This record gives sequence, structure tokens and C-alpha cells, in this order.
Amino acid sequence: MRDLDLRVEPGEVFGLLGPNGSGKSTTLKIILGLVSPTRGRTEIFGRDSRLVESRVAVGFLPENPYFYKYLTGEETLRFFGRLCGLGGARLRERINELLDLVGLTKARKQRLGTYSKGMLQRIGLAQALIHHPKLLVLDEPTAGVDPAGSREIRDLIRDLRHRGITVLLSSHLLAQAQEICDRVGILADGALVREGRLEELIAIENQTELVLENASGTLLNEIEGLAARSNARVIERRKSTTTLERLFLEATKK
Amino acid sequence: MIRAILVVVILIVLGALKVPIERDLAALHRKEHFRGVEFNLDLREKLGQLGFVAALSGFRAIVADGLFIQAHVAWERTEWGRVLLLFRQVTTLQPRVILFWDMAAWHMAWNAAVAAMNDKSQPRLALRVKAQREYFALGKDFLERGIKNNPDRLQLYEALARLYKEKYKDHEHAAEFYAKAATFPHAPSYEQRFSAYERSYCEGREREAYEQLRQLYDEGVKERLPTLITRLKFLENKLGIPQDQRIPDK
Amino acid sequence: MSNEIDNLTLERFDASASARPMQTRHRAFSLARVRAITVNTLTELTRLKVFYVLLVFALLLIGSSIFMAQFTFQQEFQILKDVSLGAMSIFTSLLAIVATARLIPQDIEDRTVYTILAKPVPRLEYLLGKIAGVLLLLAISTLVMSAVFVLVLYMREQAVLHTTIRQMSAAPREQLDAAVRAVRASAFNIDMVPGITIIYLKACLLAALTLFVSTFATTNIFTIVVMAFIYFIGHLQATAREYWLQAHASGLITKIFLAVVALLFPDLQAFNLVDDIVAGTAISLGLFFKTALLGIFYTAIYTLLAAFVFYGKEL
Repeated sequence: MRDLDLRVEPGEVFGLLGPNGSGKSTTLKIILGLVSPTRGRTEIFGRDSRLVESRVAVGFLPENPYFYKYLTGEETLRFFGRLCGLGGARLRERINELLDLVGLTKARKQRLGTYSKGMLQRIGLAQALIHHPKLLVLDEPTAGVDPAGSREIRDLIRDLRHRGITVLLSSHLLAQAQEICDRVGILADGALVREGRLEELIAIENQTELVLENASGTLLNEIEGLAARSNARVIERRKSTTTLERLFLEATKK
Repeated sequence: MIRAILVVVILIVLGALKVPIERDLAALHRKEHFRGVEFNLDLREKLGQLGFVAALSGFRAIVADGLFIQAHVAWERTEWGRVLLLFRQVTTLQPRVILFWDMAAWHMAWNAAVAAMNDKSQPRLALRVKAQREYFALGKDFLERGIKNNPDRLQLYEALARLYKEKYKDHEHAAEFYAKAATFPHAPSYEQRFSAYERSYCEGREREAYEQLRQLYDEGVKERLPTLITRLKFLENKLGIPQDQRIPDK
Repeated sequence: MSNEIDNLTLERFDASASARPMQTRHRAFSLARVRAITVNTLTELTRLKVFYVLLVFALLLIGSSIFMAQFTFQQEFQILKDVSLGAMSIFTSLLAIVATARLIPQDIEDRTVYTILAKPVPRLEYLLGKIAGVLLLLAISTLVMSAVFVLVLYMREQAVLHTTIRQMSAAPREQLDAAVRAVRASAFNIDMVPGITIIYLKACLLAALTLFVSTFATTNIFTIVVMAFIYFIGHLQATAREYWLQAHASGLITKIFLAVVALLFPDLQAFNLVDDIVAGTAISLGLFFKTALLGIFYTAIYTLLAAFVFYGKEL
């Protein structure tokens, strides 16, 4: 990593994108104080991230986490809650709330050894949220999860943003990142090569898309004519398609 | 890297601080009869390098027990040379186990000595007697070394007294070691008695023995055992004690 | 890889934007957090197959001493106690090393260490929790083994007493009492309690030392091999130390070697008191406390050193 200067604004979902080995995980580890930078500093809400206190405000879900297989979902949350200084009725309530949020209330007494990848990722998310962090750091939150599970996780992230939680996530799945991120930064070889609001970065300034329903051929020809007359140009005319993902979700829905 | 160097430095500094503490503790341990085998180079010669390391690594007692069981088997097969060798190892490994010294001495001075005397393959009596005396000496040697390692316990003094009495018919020494055993706190009352009995057989010590036995007799009915009365009467006769000072017949 | 970061600021957070006001105040050190990790580590360790294999083996060894009836009772009790306490000593030492060696590497490999340390948990607390879990496991094993040992010894004592009383039914009261006393005296000895405590403390020392080694080791196997080496050298340390200090040794290289052994290794021989205790050597209170203190001192030092290395570790 070199010369990385990055700021995540409160309330947004920031996506750190890049190919494998570009330094996404290292960046996240530095933010969490798991690795110390050779030079420079990171702060979380104004606190140096090398200090343990800075972690009070942040929840973290590592890439492909393994939790203790012999614990149940509920016990896992209790363990992490205790680590954050929670206990008693307050912790019990919080556990119920989170199990409900991530949809694992039914599986609460099951050992994690029996959980699917998606369920593990969701319990991981719940664990990261146990102490009401204002910032959530997610390393490849949907890696290795099937489309349905990955959709659920994305919905959850969106939901969290609505609750005012700032999310910093890393991903190499661009389509998914595009769908949930407000802002992105692209890392390559340890350097930040692009950064900005997603719609600004990918918008093509002089082009506009128009999606019509039940338009007749005559109408379309008229529109094209109209465009030609006002010095605009129709570049492409095609049938709207659904995404493969949506098709998949439709087809596999029970 | 800096941290690694620091760790080594810390370890060395702490090491320099702990060495005197460990030395003091080791000295205290030895003073209270622990760690008796640690610097015993004899042990290395007897057990070999591997056995020596094993003995020092927390397997000492178990190694000794294994050898002791082997000695037991050798005894059942009357392989006396092997019994001797194994007991030397056992007692070197566990010098604080009275039982091992006692057993070693018993096997030598009693079992092996009797076997040597009855040895059919040796027709010459003189040689059989010589072999027997050698086994007596081996038994005595075990007990003497045992006492050196356990001067704080009475059992081996008593065993040595018994050996002198029964095997050497050396009443002088037997009396001396019974008397030593009797000096220990909580020593059984018979040590005193046995010491006096043995003394009563010693030429020229009769007066001493008489006074001792008489004192025991006067202590009460509990001490007035048949042997004591017999020995006392014998001494009364021998020393010509006036009738009115003698103990009553029955 | 060099990680150079100019300025990475995550949210200069504006208080008004906070969704939830609740926040538990952070404490620099919290026993509750250590306890959570301890309990978790203990649960984790009791799932280890090797723990049960070792425990069953040790218990079998203790139990098998019951078949020593061909010897006199003194011999039998001597062997029973030697074998049982030897089994306890070996088992606790082995368990301390094997169980501790995999604790940290396993957590790093499974990335659970990331989730734990990403919470407001200082690394020292994490290590303290881990080592406390091992020490608790060792304490439980020691208690279980002691209980079985005492039970076996008690059963044998009762059996021998029964036979003695039957055989001596015709003997005078005084002789019978003496015989019974002799059996009792060679079975139980209160000094075994401090002896077992020292066995436990030796295992604690080894666990802390293993933790320390595992913070810079790359694999479990490496840690275990290093610990086996330390175990044997540690038992010869006292001998090396005395040779070094008594200036018996000839040659500079030999002297340096002995000095290194004496300075860097703990004197493990100091914790092998139980053999002599079984042999009947009385242990004084002063000697017991001094030895125990040395064990506790070593355990603490190695744990702190482990934390020191662990703080510098890039996870």
C-alpha cells in the first residue's frame, strides 16, 4: 500500500473495489488496528485506530469467517456481546433483536457447524452489529454465498444504511457493489486509482436512457425521427432484458 | 525485528535475576532432602545417558519402579548378580525410598546369603562361607549408604541393627544402632528394649545393660515382657545384685 | 509489504447523525471480557479429542496400579503412588503443551482472532483469556486425576486393611493397631497435596511458555518440537547452571553454552518434588511456598512476554 488517502463520510455505503491482491484486506486490517501501517495514520471518528477504544464504534466481518463451530448462533452472539462489555437483560434483548434482523431466529439453537455459508455470513453480520457500532466494516461480504443468500445480505446492508449506519465494504464483485454503494474507491497495486460517487463515476454525461412499456413501432420511429431533427442520435434500440440474477431468483423461488 | 531482540534481552536480564533465586531454592531443596540425584554422576554411569535424561525428566520414580519389578523377577529366578545390579540402580534413582534400601539389604544378607550357603554346586564349605560373608557385606553396604541418604529416618538404623545381630552376631554394633533408632521422636518403644537386650550380651557392658533394663522394668507393667524379665534375671545373677534389690519371681 | 498511508480518516462523525445513542463505555481492562474468552477457550479445549485420549490414558494408568497385588503392601502402595503421580505429571505437562500450542495459530487460521480483536478487546486480555482457559482445563484434569487416584488408593488401602485384620485376628490388640497404623501410613500422606499442587504449577509454567513460543512460531508442530526440546533442557538446566557457576567447565565455548542454558531456560527440576514426597520426605511450608512462587513467577513472565510479542504481530 502506498499513499492512500481516503475518507468515508457518515451514513454512506463505501465500496473498496479492486482485483485480488490489490490491498483491500490490508487496508481494512489497518483500519481495525490488526496490522499497523509503516507510515501514516488512520482514524475512526477522530480516534486513532491503533487504540483499542476506537473499536467501540466499529463492527467487523472478516472474509470467510469461521466462528467457533461448537457454539450455537445464540451463544456466538452472547460471546461477542460479552467481549463488548454487554451483559444481562440488555444483551439478551440485543441478541433477539439481531437474530430477528438477520432472520436466524429459527436457527438460534443450532450449532454453527450446521449453518450454510449464507447463514454464517448473516450471523457474522449480527456479531459485527452486537455493540451498536456506527461504522460497519465488511470484507467481501458476499463472497462464496449463493445468489439468494447474497441478495439477502445486500438487502440487509441497505437496511442498515437506512438506520444510519456507515458501511465500508470491500468487494471484487462489481455488479453487486454497483447496486449498493453510494461511493466507491478503486484500488490497484496498493494505490487508490479512482474515488468518487458511484453515479458520477459511471454516468456517461452526454447519454440518456429511456425505458418504455407497450410502445408501438410507429411511436419508436417517431421518437427516432424527433431525435434526428434535434441533433441527437439514437445509438441503440433493443428489447429490455432482465438480469441473470433476477431470472435465477425467480426460477429458484420456492 | 526490534521486538525479537528486545525479547532476547529481556530473557537474558530476567535470567540473570532468576539464577540466584533458583540456586537458593535448589540449595533449600537439597537441605530438605529433595533433588538428591541431580548431581549424582554415579547415576549417569549406572543408567547410561538416555536413562539419566529420562530419570531427570520426571520419569525417575517410574523408571525406578520398573527396575524394582525387574529385580523382583530376578529374585524369583534366584539370579543374585542381577538382583544386586538392579537394586544398585533402583537405590541410586530413588535414594529416599527406605523400602528399596531395606529390600536390597534383605535380598543380599538374608536370601542371597542363605542361597550361597546352600549352593550345591560348591562342594567346599569354606568357599560357601566366604560367599555368604560377602553377601552379608553387600547387605551392610546397602544399609550404610541408605542411612547416609536418609539420616533423618529411623527404619534403616533398625534394619542395620538387625543385620548386625542376626548375621554378624555383633551385639556391640546391634546395640549401638538400636539405640540410635530409639533417639528418634515417636520411635517405637521396642528400640530401647532391643538395644538393652543386645547390650546385655556384650562382655563388660553388663552393668550398663542392667541399669537400662531395670529402668524399663520400673516404667511399668507394659515393659515387663518375658524376654526382658529373663535378661534381667540373667544379669542380676551375673552381676551378683543383692537379693533385696532384685525383681520378684513372677 | 510496506503499508504507507497518508491519511485515512473514517468519518469525522457528526454527533447529530448518530442513529443510536447507546454506547457502552470502554474500560482499559475488563475481567468480564477475559472471562468470556476463558470460558470460550475452555469449551473449545474440551472438544479436543487429544484431551480425552490423554485423560483416559492417564486414568487407565492410575487404575491399572490396582493389579499389583503380588507385592507387599508397602511395595504396592509405593508403585501405585509413583505410577499415578508420574502419570499425572506427564499428562498435565503434555496437555499443557499440546493444548496451548494450537490455540493462537488455530484462531489466526480460522480468522476468529480478527473478529475478536476487531472488538474493543486489548490483545493482552485476549491472551490472558486464552491462557486462563488452559490453566482451568489443567486444574480440572488435575482434580479429576487426583480424585481417581485417591479412590484407587483408598480401595487398595481398605482391601489391605481387611486382609491384615483377618490375618491378625488372633494377635494382641497392640500389634494389630500397629499393623493397621503401618498400612494407613504407607497409603496416604498429606504431603501429596502440595506435591500435586507443584505438578499443576509446572504444567502452568509449560502452558505459558508454550503460549510464548506459539506467538512467534509458524506452525503447531514447530511449537511442540521446540517445547519438547525445552522440556528436556529445562530438566538439565540445574546441572548446567551448577557446572557453569562452579567453574568446573573447561573451555570458553562450553562455558558460554552452559551460561545460555542456565539463563534462558527455567529450572524444571525444581518442580519434581513428588517423587521424594512419595518416598516419605516431608515438605516444609517454606519450601512449598518458595517453589510455588517460582512457578507462578515463571507463568506470569512468559504470559507477559507472549503478550509483548503478540502486540507486535501483524495478523
